[in-house]
Amino acid sequence: VRRAVETAEAALDAVLGDTARQEAALDQREAFPADLCARLDAFGLPAHYVPTRWGGRLDDYGRLWSLWRTVARRDLSAVVAHGKTFLGAAPVWVAGNSSQAEETAAAVLAGAPMAWALSEPEHGADLLRNSFSARPVPGGWRLDGVKWPVNNATRAGRLSVLACTDAAETARGHSLFLVDKAGLAPDSWRALPKEPTHGIRGVDISGIEFSGATVPEDAMIGPRGTGIETTLRCLQLTRTLCTALSAGAGERALRVAARFAAGRLIKERPLAERPVPLSVLARCAALLAAAEASSLVAARSIHSLTGEMSVTSAIVKPLAPTLADSVLGELAELLGVRSFLVGVYEHGAFQKLYRDHQIVSVFDGSTPVNRAALVQQFPRLVAGFESASYDAAGLAEAVGQNVFLRPPCTDSLTLASRTGSSVVQSLPVLAMELAADNGPAGLAEQAAALCADARRLTLLMAQVRPAARPAMMAYEMAAAYELCYAGAACLQVWKAQARQHSTAPLWQGGLWVRAALRELRARLAVTMRWAPPDACPGDDAIGQELGRLTVAAAANGSTITPLGTPVPMISPGSQESV
Amino acid sequence: VNTLSARPATAVPLDRVLGDPWHTDNPLGYAAVLAADERGEMLAEGERLLTRFGLNAEFVPGEYDGRFVRADRLADTLRALWRRDPCLGLGYGLSSLIASMNVWTCGAESQRRWVARLLLNGGRVAAAFHELDHGNDLGSAECFAHPSSTGWLVTGRKEVVANLHRAEAMVLFARTGSKGGSRGHTQFLVERASLPAGRVSDLPRIHSSGMRGVQLDGMRFEDCPVPAQALLGQVGQGMEIVLRSYLVTRSVVPAVIIGPLDTALRLTLDYALDRQLYRGAVADIPYVRTVIARAFADLLAADALSSVTVRGLHLVPETMAVYAPAAKYLVSGMVVDAFSALRSVLGTQAYLRGGRFAMFQKLARDIPPATFGHISRSACLVTILPQLPRLARTSWGRGDPANEAIFDLGGPLPVLRLDRLDPAARGDDVLAGTLNALAGSADATLEGRYAARFAETLGALRAHCLALAPRDLTINASPAAFALADRYTVVLAAASALAVWRRAGDRLPREVLLGVLDRLDGRLGGQPVLSPVEREETEGKLFALALERFRDGTSLDLSARPIFPC
Repeated sequence: VRRAVETAEAALDAVLGDTARQEAALDQREAFPADLCARLDAFGLPAHYVPTRWGGRLDDYGRLWSLWRTVARRDLSAVVAHGKTFLGAAPVWVAGNSSQAEETAAAVLAGAPMAWALSEPEHGADLLRNSFSARPVPGGWRLDGVKWPVNNATRAGRLSVLACTDAAETARGHSLFLVDKAGLAPDSWRALPKEPTHGIRGVDISGIEFSGATVPEDAMIGPRGTGIETTLRCLQLTRTLCTALSAGAGERALRVAARFAAGRLIKERPLAERPVPLSVLARCAALLAAAEASSLVAARSIHSLTGEMSVTSAIVKPLAPTLADSVLGELAELLGVRSFLVGVYEHGAFQKLYRDHQIVSVFDGSTPVNRAALVQQFPRLVAGFESASYDAAGLAEAVGQNVFLRPPCTDSLTLASRTGSSVVQSLPVLAMELAADNGPAGLAEQAAALCADARRLTLLMAQVRPAARPAMMAYEMAAAYELCYAGAACLQVWKAQARQHSTAPLWQGGLWVRAALRELRARLAVTMRWAPPDACPGDDAIGQELGRLTVAAAANGSTITPLGTPVPMISPGSQESV
Repeated sequence: VNTLSARPATAVPLDRVLGDPWHTDNPLGYAAVLAADERGEMLAEGERLLTRFGLNAEFVPGEYDGRFVRADRLADTLRALWRRDPCLGLGYGLSSLIASMNVWTCGAESQRRWVARLLLNGGRVAAAFHELDHGNDLGSAECFAHPSSTGWLVTGRKEVVANLHRAEAMVLFARTGSKGGSRGHTQFLVERASLPAGRVSDLPRIHSSGMRGVQLDGMRFEDCPVPAQALLGQVGQGMEIVLRSYLVTRSVVPAVIIGPLDTALRLTLDYALDRQLYRGAVADIPYVRTVIARAFADLLAADALSSVTVRGLHLVPETMAVYAPAAKYLVSGMVVDAFSALRSVLGTQAYLRGGRFAMFQKLARDIPPATFGHISRSACLVTILPQLPRLARTSWGRGDPANEAIFDLGGPLPVLRLDRLDPAARGDDVLAGTLNALAGSADATLEGRYAARFAETLGALRAHCLALAPRDLTINASPAAFALADRYTVVLAAASALAVWRRAGDRLPREVLLGVLDRLDGRLGGQPVLSPVEREETEGKLFALALERFRDGTSLDLSARPIFPC
């Protein structure tokens, strides 16, 4: 399975070619990455947005995650623009009927962009309060209102639109519609101008206004009144997959910064040979490894732990961009003025991806929105941890590699996980297993300590009373729970895959997983204002070693994260172009 | 004797010139500032108004007919400007200040008079120090000057220098000796018009993701003649002048960058009050209130440290080689972190370049150079490290407390003596002495417990710093040694906050001090002094105070003075 994914990623890399200069120029001109999107079409990426049942190639969400990461490490704008089609189509796959699915599949496979019109000017994430309306008229529905800001709103021919069909501000008062612009009367809608944005400057962030547009009766996706529910279930897919953007941006940044550190002489010695810059690179590599492991496990969980996705997506959607933003912040300081200048050092790639990436923690449910969603599910997470119950078979598929992954069944996506999080709840058993293992130095201690942290945390979570507006402490507990999930995912991936990767340098002596656990536990302590964790055996050696591997991987394009792939090297000499 | 008691506040009339930020016809309002940023230009009308106002006089010492007499007044004035537009703040303000400081510190009388006249007439001086290959590593700068029959011949490049093309004068930093020596560089005060066109060429302007209006220029010199009288200070003294002069500017920068955070907080408050989500104002969401409260607490903590640092220039010039980099390091980190936290409240509105809150993304792009510009945060720690064992020995156990005047914000100050600024920092750490004294007289109140907590931290730092290996005092220090220097800066901020509040009595809001100290305590890690309930309570008070000041149109910093509603 993994081999097939790697081959697909390599093929995608080959199709993309050397994109750095073009990407920078487009950003400066605020031009849409049309050429890159055309290459993605030529590669056949749209087929990965369409389930095999409807003639596409989407049968492994882990693979889609990896492909998006491959694009994201070249150009975040391109993947935001292109990937939106999957978000736009998701409601159809999850709740549409077969004719809607066939029609949508044909359009997507032909390369037609789609959009998902959720946001409204005054409501943002507060979907229940949406005022965009759909009223029944003879033969169909009449749409009125403004959707803004919406990615692809102008370029897309088809949009999934959430509209108020019954009592406002109620969970069953909204419905989803599949709107084909070609079927609308010309004067019944208009595109709203592109919004200038801080990052992803070339992407079509615009809007659409409907005034008396009529769509046929069969444009409704799923039964009347299920719009909010379908949206929330789709978000479980899209929020999970969005984490690929953070992994890609983080990887690109780490490679750029590590190359800079290797080449930069301070007092006639490379920065990368000094302990502190090396430890910064190591910390960033460790956090990126944690983001990768947790996000990829989450993406595979869509198949095998489907019923837990309400929890899983609410964990990884804030986790991955938070870790990546922290990595980018540290690397920006390491790069100094080169994190800031346009056109300087690898075409000014860093300042662009730094701006671009800041949208990831906002769109598709912001970090606070997701944390609040997790807080609502605390009682189930607490009970799940206490009982130490988990779906062992589902977990094995999610954390494995070259293991059979059952076909996705989106019907099993539920609004609230009944079983909590198998990844976190596996920690007590996992810690015992690792203690019995003759594993790398310090790893069993890390696992035991993380398990104790998780126990301590769930005891606090148990005291949080359900509230419509949770206290700040509850948000912090949610953030801490995310870190427990990441640590557990790392440990599970290590346990499941160490043998397969036994020759890879990052896996020697459990290097990446020990470094990741150390960083995650340090963050956990800061988040919860607990005493900093004690060092585990062998801790002092791992930072410098991981730093050196990172520098080497950046120099030759080899794999820089435990589950990553090599990246084609850019032409030499283009680093310091001014 | 020689006490500067009056504190005429230039910041107040400057605020009047800056005018109502929301007025669309205001040539210095947000709309104009944003439009200039979009064009990647300095706000030309703004520059004209600042010239008419005579802003440059703030950078010129009193004895040369300027208004640069007190460092705190200079910082207040620049903060007011940065509150409105960091591009003007850097491109019109700070860049000429940084360059000219070398002249005030070490220039000949004629050079001072010339630069004073130039600035008072609205001219500019560029600081031509930076080379892309060497950045903060000034000692490796390659651009060199050879002696010639008439003076010097300069060859090399200077890059990413604010205003280098349009400035009438520049302070040029060039190698004049062999590589590696500490006296290998020399400064020159050069008039642009005196350089022969064939020997110097402007390199294309470099654009940047923030500070987009500031012209970051490069210049190439090829055997370019520079007259003998351009020599600034003595041959080989270049680095020494830098180290002395930049104690002033590196102390002022932290105080100044609090301005943009003030505005960002106001924009966030405005958004939170205006926007409705989940059947109420965004400001009703506890997460939002807490993020705002904490950012406000960080602003106050940063202001306490930076205010004490700026006053230190007058009062403890012999210790500024520790306090200046400490403030630069901690405050720039806190401000950048606070921007990240506020971004999570504004969400999409922090990402749009249009609309009512567009200023936020501009300020968020303008602020990152605070972490690497002028001196990087890691270079700050490298500067502090070698001083720690001595301070631990002489001051951290039983040193004298500071002269109370340093905490009396706005109060009288002795004359600023640039010649007494000591790059080698031979002075005592009097802030540590103050902290120990506060801890010694601490009672069982929460405030007293904080004094004890931070004094304990200082005690632990003392033990570690006395045991530091020689290698850990250099750029090759271990991450653990760097962490000690980091924690030390937090202790300095806590000492400053405790002492400033105590000194101010009722003039500062007592009820929020605990929140300020809690934030600093959080940076140190470990069990907090406050219980969760106590923290919620003090954060509630912080939010309420921020809201009150926002509604009253007073600044959010320690001065709490009326400003236009921003």
